[in-house]
Parts: sequence; structure tokens; C-alpha cells
Amino acid sequence: MTPNSLAVTITGIGSVSPYGPLTGLIPQSPLEPGIITAWTTAELRRAFLVQPFRPASVVPGLKTRRLDRLSAWALVASSLAIQDAGIDLNQVDRSRVAVVFATAFGCVELTEAFYLSAAANSWNGTDPSTFPETLPSAPASHVSMFHGLRGPNVTVSNKYFAGETALIQAASLLRNGQADIAIVLAGDALARTLYSWYEVAGLLSPACYNSEPMSEAGGFIPSEGVAAFVMELSDRGAIRSDARSYARIRSGRWATASQPAEIIGPMLDGSVPSLIVCSGNGAPCATSPTTELARAISGDGAGIILPQPFAIGLAGTGALFHLILALGSRPNNGQALLLATAAASGFAALLLELP
Amino acid sequence: MTDIHKTIVVTGVGVVSPYGIGLDCLQAGLLSGKCCLAPTKDVYPGFEGTTAQVRALAADDDRSRYSRTDLLAIMAAQDAIANSGCDSSAFRESGIVMANTVGGLTGIDTGIAKDPAAWYRRSGGLLRGASYPFAHVADAVGDRLGVRGPRCAISVACASGAMAIALAANMLLDGAAPIILAGGSDPLCAFTLSGFNSLRALDPNPCSPFDQNRNGLNLGEGSAVLVLETLAGAISRNASVMAVLRGWAMTNDAFHPTAPQKQGVGLADCIKLSMEMAAVRGDDIGYVNAHGTGTPLNDIAEANAYEAAFRGRKNPIPVSSTKSYFGHCLGAAGALEAAITIMAIRSGTLLPTLRLSDPIESPGVDWLRGEVKRQPLPLAMSVSSGFGGSNTVLIFGSAR
Repeated sequence: MTPNSLAVTITGIGSVSPYGPLTGLIPQSPLEPGIITAWTTAELRRAFLVQPFRPASVVPGLKTRRLDRLSAWALVASSLAIQDAGIDLNQVDRSRVAVVFATAFGCVELTEAFYLSAAANSWNGTDPSTFPETLPSAPASHVSMFHGLRGPNVTVSNKYFAGETALIQAASLLRNGQADIAIVLAGDALARTLYSWYEVAGLLSPACYNSEPMSEAGGFIPSEGVAAFVMELSDRGAIRSDARSYARIRSGRWATASQPAEIIGPMLDGSVPSLIVCSGNGAPCATSPTTELARAISGDGAGIILPQPFAIGLAGTGALFHLILALGSRPNNGQALLLATAAASGFAALLLELP
Repeated sequence: MTDIHKTIVVTGVGVVSPYGIGLDCLQAGLLSGKCCLAPTKDVYPGFEGTTAQVRALAADDDRSRYSRTDLLAIMAAQDAIANSGCDSSAFRESGIVMANTVGGLTGIDTGIAKDPAAWYRRSGGLLRGASYPFAHVADAVGDRLGVRGPRCAISVACASGAMAIALAANMLLDGAAPIILAGGSDPLCAFTLSGFNSLRALDPNPCSPFDQNRNGLNLGEGSAVLVLETLAGAISRNASVMAVLRGWAMTNDAFHPTAPQKQGVGLADCIKLSMEMAAVRGDDIGYVNAHGTGTPLNDIAEANAYEAAFRGRKNPIPVSSTKSYFGHCLGAAGALEAAITIMAIRSGTLLPTLRLSDPIESPGVDWLRGEVKRQPLPLAMSVSSGFGGSNTVLIFGSAR
């Protein structure tokens, strides 16, 4: 089965990450994990952490006091992406703007707070203002409310490919005529319960426990942040003449199939991408199944960008960051493939055209 | 002329509801007028209220890799496949789009907040933690059924189940998979009952949607899964078509985290968009299965939306809320109500809202109450809304 061409363009990028709140691409600079202080740890624990900042200092007028950090970051990242795209929302039919948000764990910080209030006051004494903010869809709802966006508002997830899924679903809304513009967001925030799960499950890199340099093997370093893209239809005259194009998404597939090469092959239509951006989970590794598949697809013909430790640490929601980091890391043009695999859970692949 | 590659059809419906397992069981229960809402005390210590529970599924097993949300979804998906008349091998390349709001919260207690590491080290703790993400439900269904197409989970509060169906239809139009199992699942759990209780949204007695004296909602639990494919696909594998998904639309109120916009503007827009997609007029819709939670704010906004969207119709639009039978099943509600809408079309039956004695004044709406109405029903609509302003509308048509 050949999927229809998605034909959408990424015209704006914003993000909140350990690099801080940023408009556009992330400058290339090494990133070291920070020491966790948000909750008490018996010994040193590290992760890629978003440093506290005042959202209203980045987006004037933004009120985030009772929100989960994930919602606050989604508001900031979406605002920066819209600004980067040069879109004046007052000149846009906001009923034609969709929001698609991907998260693996949702508003885990306030979910934890809700459990704490139940533990302290019983289930009959929980805080009514916290409950709605625990919903996984709360960040997307706040983005719609803040910007007045009345198109489809979707929160999606997928264990390994949540970011890719959001990109594909957003493209689908655009090409099926259900929106003209989509704000696509993906990310997660770290909380004590999440970090502890990784730790007890034995998934953490030794670099989480001491200040030694990161190694390729032996687990990953959890991270947090939200990336946002503005996506617009490439054809139908919807792209504004002055719009920037970071990349054009031609097609996308994800499946649990065990033979991804058989599905990705027809997507490429005989051509070899000049760049393969490897996304993925687990430790950052030059010999992971994703990079091996990338080599099998490209032969010697493509540059391969290995999974980036910070983006890997976002579990399934790192795809947007992988792409942002790749676009910022080297000048390129032609076809690129954003590729992720996850053992028995299959693969996700997006074919892009770089300007 | 019908484009069989662009026409989305329903070729199976699976249901787990407080009435039991299967669409026939749901239909028999609803048509008998039986209300599954009952006094409940056992969901958490100190809770006293009214809920509807699925008795066909035992309580959680602490050491299971599957949460109650997962198990309800798996049962509904298995029932959908059985209902489709095909064996599971036909579904090998299928996609899965499953909605929920609760994820694995049913298996997590307050101990996790005090000392998460100790809690995970308890027997089964890591597994229960692993089932927390709402995406786990899609994997649970896919792994259990051996389905290997694209998987995706949706969570948009109470519109989740309907939106899963809408997005699955988009995916079929995109050629992402030949068949998609789409629906929603949500169980009763302390977390959500406590949350709605804290918001004072719960009616302590069985709810009365659209009544002037309505006093809130009741929570229920369940799951429904539709087998969706293109008409071309259904013809090629000689599948029996139960209904046609004629139109679907999604909008957002962009108004408030929990309250709907009082005039129902976003919902009215959603209804109009769905009719536009289906290429039908307001007069063509024979029945609306409403969101109808029974909360003061929802029901008035919804009534206003119907007034606006069906303005100009010759006769008032027939509307009922089947949440009066087994409560609000949150992320499963939109999928269960889609199943009920399909049932209504196939059986030509319009269900009344229970306990509706003094309806909201709304001249453009025929609030169904009293006896079940029997009449041919070529087109019907299912309406869902949720916290955060999400709206989704589905229009189903007869297979004939």
C-alpha cells in the first residue's frame, strides 16, 4: 500500500529544553546533564534538565501559575514557533488551526501532586484546581485557549514514536482539509515518580550517578522539554510567500511490522536520501538497530546523524528535537529520512525534503 | 457517485459495557430500559455515590502487566473481531487507534507519591508503573491480538473515543493501514472519581441529562472498538458492512479548561462541519446521540449548539443521552455512543433519555423521553465534548 504524499512544510520552530527557551534551530553546543534538585535524592542524580525560567518573561502576558510545567512549556514553545513562522494570528482564521500534541507521560508532575493530596487528605479531600491539569491533554488545551485556536485539538501517544506519530497525524489533518495550519508539539517533563521508575528498572546510564563522561552503553540519561513546529500545507497556495521552509514532509509511515525496510523502500521510490537522522530509544549507540537500518538503506550514499543523547532521553517524544538538532548540525539539502526503530515495536519513518 | 476508496465503513463493533459483553447485550439492555447506575461505596474509602460497573471483568490483578483499562480494551477488540465475522489473521496488518484518559492509574495507589522507589520495588510495582502511560492501551491490544500495523493512543478527555474513530478514518484515507481497530476504553478509578468529586460534578443519584433539575454526572466504565476500513477493502474481502461513517469533524472551544462555551459555538461549528463532510443537511439527520452528561453547564451549551446547528430544520431534532443508562465512561464514551448510534440505525430505534421529566426549554430540539421510538433511521449523529473544549462529531449512515 502506498500512502498519499503528505506534502506539508515546517515553517516555524520553538522549543523549551535544557538549552533554554529558543526560537528556531538550537545552536550546536555540548550539553551536560544537570544535578537533580527538584526532589530529594539520597545521592547524586543527574538528568538533562530544563532550568527554571519565568514564562511571562519569554511570552508577555502568559499566566502559568497553576499549570503543570509541561503545559507551561507547551505554551512557550508554541508561542515561539508561531513567532518564528512569522504568523500573525489576527490575520488567520483560527478555526482552521489545529493543535497536535504528543506526550508519553502527560502532566506527571501534577498527577504526582494529586496523589500527594490524596495521601494527605484522603481521596475525598483532593484539590479541584489540580485535577483538570493532570489530564494528558491539558497542555494542548492550554495552547488552544491561549492562542484562540479552534481547529482540531489532538493529544496522541505511542510508546516509542509519539513525536513521529504527532507529525504524521498533523500532516493528515492538513491534507484531509481539516486545518490549514497545525501547531505540532512533543515532549515530557521529568518528575520523581518517572525518574524513580527508570532507576528501579535499571535503565539509567552510569552518567546519571556520577560526573563521569557519558558512555555509549549501559542505559540512557532522562531528559525533558517540549518542541513545537508550525506546519502548513505545501500546495493549495497556503504557504505564504515570505514563509521560511525548514523542511518539507513528503510522506510518513509507522508500524509494528518486523521488516521495516520492506515498507520504507517504496517510500523512497528508488532514491537514496542524502541524510538519515536517527531517532530512537535506549543508549546513544553507533551500532543500534536504527543506525544499522540507516546504513542498510543508505549504503555509502548518505550522511547519518546518530541519535542525540538529550533527545533520546525524551523516550518516545524526542523526534522533533532530533530533527531540530540535525537541521542545526550541518548544512544539507535534498532528501532526508527521520528514522526510528524499536525492536519488536516496529519503526517510524518520515521522508523529508530539505531546502 | 460513491468513491469506494474514500468511503469509510464499519465492519465490526465490539463492546464491553455495564450490560455485559457484545453489541447484542448492549442493545437488549438499552431497549429493555434497564438502568445500570447503582449506589457504590467501594471505589475508594469514603466514597459514596452512583456509578455503573462492568461485572464481566474481575478486579485488578496487582501482578498483571495489563491495567483494567487495557483489559477492557482487549475484550472489546476481541469482541469486535468476532463480530466482524473474520478470524484474527485478517487483521494482521491492521492499525490500532485506542483512546483513554485513565491509562494505568487504576493500578496505582497513593503510596507511590510518598516513596516511588519503594513502591516500584513492591511485587508488581514496576509492571503497574509501566502500564501508566496512556499509550500502553494501544500496545496491549496490538500485542494481544498480534496486530502489527501503526498504533496510536488518543487522550482528549471525554471526546477521546469519538476522536479515535475520526483520526482512524483519516488514517484510512491516507492509506496508513488496510483496516483500523478504533475505539476507547476507560475504567472506574479512585483518581478520576476523586477528581470529579472535588469539582462537585457528580450527581449522588442517577443522573438526569437535559432535565431542568439535573444535578451532575455519574461515572461508568467500559470499552468499545469499531472495525473500520474503506468500502473498497470491505468489498475485496467480502466483509459485511454494518454502517457507513459518512462524516466526522473535530473542533475546540478555546474557552476554558473545564467549562464549555455557554452558547455551544465550538460544538455547533463541529456539527456543521461534520454535515458538510457528509454532504447532508440538518433535515437529513434522524437522531442525535448527545454528549448529555447531566452537568448544568454541559447540557445548556449542548442545547444551544443544537439550536444553532439545526436552525432552519423543518422539525425539532430528536436528541437523547444514553449516559442516563450507564453513566459517563470518559475516554470510552464516544466509542460506546458510536456503537449505540450504529445500533440505532440498524434496529430503527431511538432511545429515550431516562429520568427526563422537565426538559431544558429548547424549541429546536425534540428531547426523546418515555418510550423507545421505532422508525427507519438512515442517518444519525453521535456528539462528544470534553474538558479543554474538545468536540468531535461522527455521522453514521445505514449500510443499505
